[in-house]
Amino acid sequence: MLFLLAWRNVWRNVKRSTIIIVSIALGLAGGLFAGAVMMGMGESMINSAIDRNLGHLQIHSPAYRRDALVSNYIRSPQKVLSLLDTLGSVKAYSARTLLEGMASSANSSYGVTITGVDPERERETTALVSMLVAGNFLADKYRTQAVIGKKLAERLGLKLKSKIILTFQDRSGEIVYMAARIVGLFKTESTAFDEMTVFVRQKDVTRLLGARKPLIHEIAIRLKNSSTLPATKTRLASGFSDLKVEEWREIAPELAFMSTSVESFTYLFVAIIIFALIFGITNTMLMAVMERIHELGILMAVGMKRGRVFIMILMETLLLSFVGGMLGMLIGGAAIAWFNHFGIDLSAFAQGLEGFGSGTTLYPYLPGVMYAALTVMIVVAANISALMPAWKAVRLKPAQAVRVY
Amino acid sequence: MALIDVRHITKTYNSTAVPVHALRDVNVHFEKKEFTAIVGPSGSGKTTLLNILGGLDAPTSGEVLIGGQNITGMKESALVEFRLRHIGFVFQAYNLIPVLTAIENVEFIMLLQGVGKKERHERARTLLADVGLADRLDSRPSQLSGGQQQRVAVARALASRPRFVLADEPTANLDSESTTSLLDMMEEMNAKYEMTFIFSTHDARVIERAHRVITLEDGRFQEDKQ
Repeated sequence: MLFLLAWRNVWRNVKRSTIIIVSIALGLAGGLFAGAVMMGMGESMINSAIDRNLGHLQIHSPAYRRDALVSNYIRSPQKVLSLLDTLGSVKAYSARTLLEGMASSANSSYGVTITGVDPERERETTALVSMLVAGNFLADKYRTQAVIGKKLAERLGLKLKSKIILTFQDRSGEIVYMAARIVGLFKTESTAFDEMTVFVRQKDVTRLLGARKPLIHEIAIRLKNSSTLPATKTRLASGFSDLKVEEWREIAPELAFMSTSVESFTYLFVAIIIFALIFGITNTMLMAVMERIHELGILMAVGMKRGRVFIMILMETLLLSFVGGMLGMLIGGAAIAWFNHFGIDLSAFAQGLEGFGSGTTLYPYLPGVMYAALTVMIVVAANISALMPAWKAVRLKPAQAVRVY
Repeated sequence: MALIDVRHITKTYNSTAVPVHALRDVNVHFEKKEFTAIVGPSGSGKTTLLNILGGLDAPTSGEVLIGGQNITGMKESALVEFRLRHIGFVFQAYNLIPVLTAIENVEFIMLLQGVGKKERHERARTLLADVGLADRLDSRPSQLSGGQQQRVAVARALASRPRFVLADEPTANLDSESTTSLLDMMEEMNAKYEMTFIFSTHDARVIERAHRVITLEDGRFQEDKQ
């Protein structure tokens, strides 16, 4: 009956309770949606990076991670690739030759990473093909060919089918020149990647490096499901203790940091909103207590213990906050679900977003654990809000409350 | 042994610059089944005496024994429990919890006592029938007249099966008809349940019906008329 009493007390002033419930609901829904947009942006950056070139996992020689030299290649890549072929969690992989070098045109030159790939493998591992804005991906059509970022092409004054000169060191440290025809231009969400990456066929660079077999510096692995990442990593790391098996978080710590930061900022953002709401709830409940001093006095006079009065006020506040909180989650959740499905078109801000490596269509999302955490935050906030009014109520002297008010 | 034994009670309020002596050495006792009115002009100390009898206020000196148990030195939590188990209260107005129905108001006191759901529902129904409100069980206070509300308050006061009922000016806001009807009902309860009723009042209609009238003036005991 105490619950019933508290529930009915909440609704005895419908207008006031509605105002505070709507305030809580809109405040929370706004906070959740803003948080989901931030999370969506972070997720977009991570997914873009994974799609673009990172993959879920990468394998390098430890020496290459310390010093990106041509000679620091994986000595027995075939063993790794054979194992990858047997792992059910692996969707695709690309064994790459990585060369730090220079891309030049008649007008200019620019420092780049020359990535030698097996076109078919790369096509399966990354989504680079879908990011081509002109031409095609690497094929067997021409003798030497390159796919470069649109941004790099602009910087060097090159077009599709132009010739690009790539310069890099071979295994003995001698400078090697490679002339290639540009067959494709790509445009990803990352300006930096577009400016500094050149894709060429692995067999072309292998020949120039004077090697009989491709020198593999990096194996990028795409998983069928990201939830299998830890298990796959463990399996590979235990199989090849002489190699460095890393997940995307370790390869791109700035992305991992951003992902954590965005989550923390979302909590902080919602916490600030809830903190502001505490004052509103406290005010409402104080008014509710002040209006009912006579009644509370009677309750205490007839034998209701102060503890029970305290619990009743606490319960009223919790109910008020709970209704507002649930409504806010419902509105916020529905808005997030809607925009997660249809996306938010931010192409007007494309240039700025590309600087961050984020896509122009945002898909807000909030993990389930965050909804649970926010529920706890609301309950805690409601309890804090109830303290002052409940304290005020239990300090009443029944005789005075009944007589004076 | 008297049901209530008031010994040398004084009450002085020191909240203002000049101390207010609300009660001065009051000695009185009440027996079981009494139907007593405490009368006197405003400021005579009626309500203060009633509050002290009900353990709502503590005397400055003196003691109150209820069934031989001294309640003046009791801790607040023990007093709340004592009130719940042994004393019924009817106040002047706005007695009931507005968001509860008549039957819920009566049941509420039993809920605080820990009475089971079925028993408290049965007892509440019986009591409301006794006070003539069998057909208004589910009415909220705002749907009842002043007289009907006071009847529910009496039913609630009796619901805890107290040793006595204290009523602070219960008819102050009632018209003649409602007052008569309420007093008839209280007398009936007094007879039926052998319940002691102690009123504070300056309503002549109540004084007429009281079996015993105690008069206070300026906080002093003036007269005790059977």
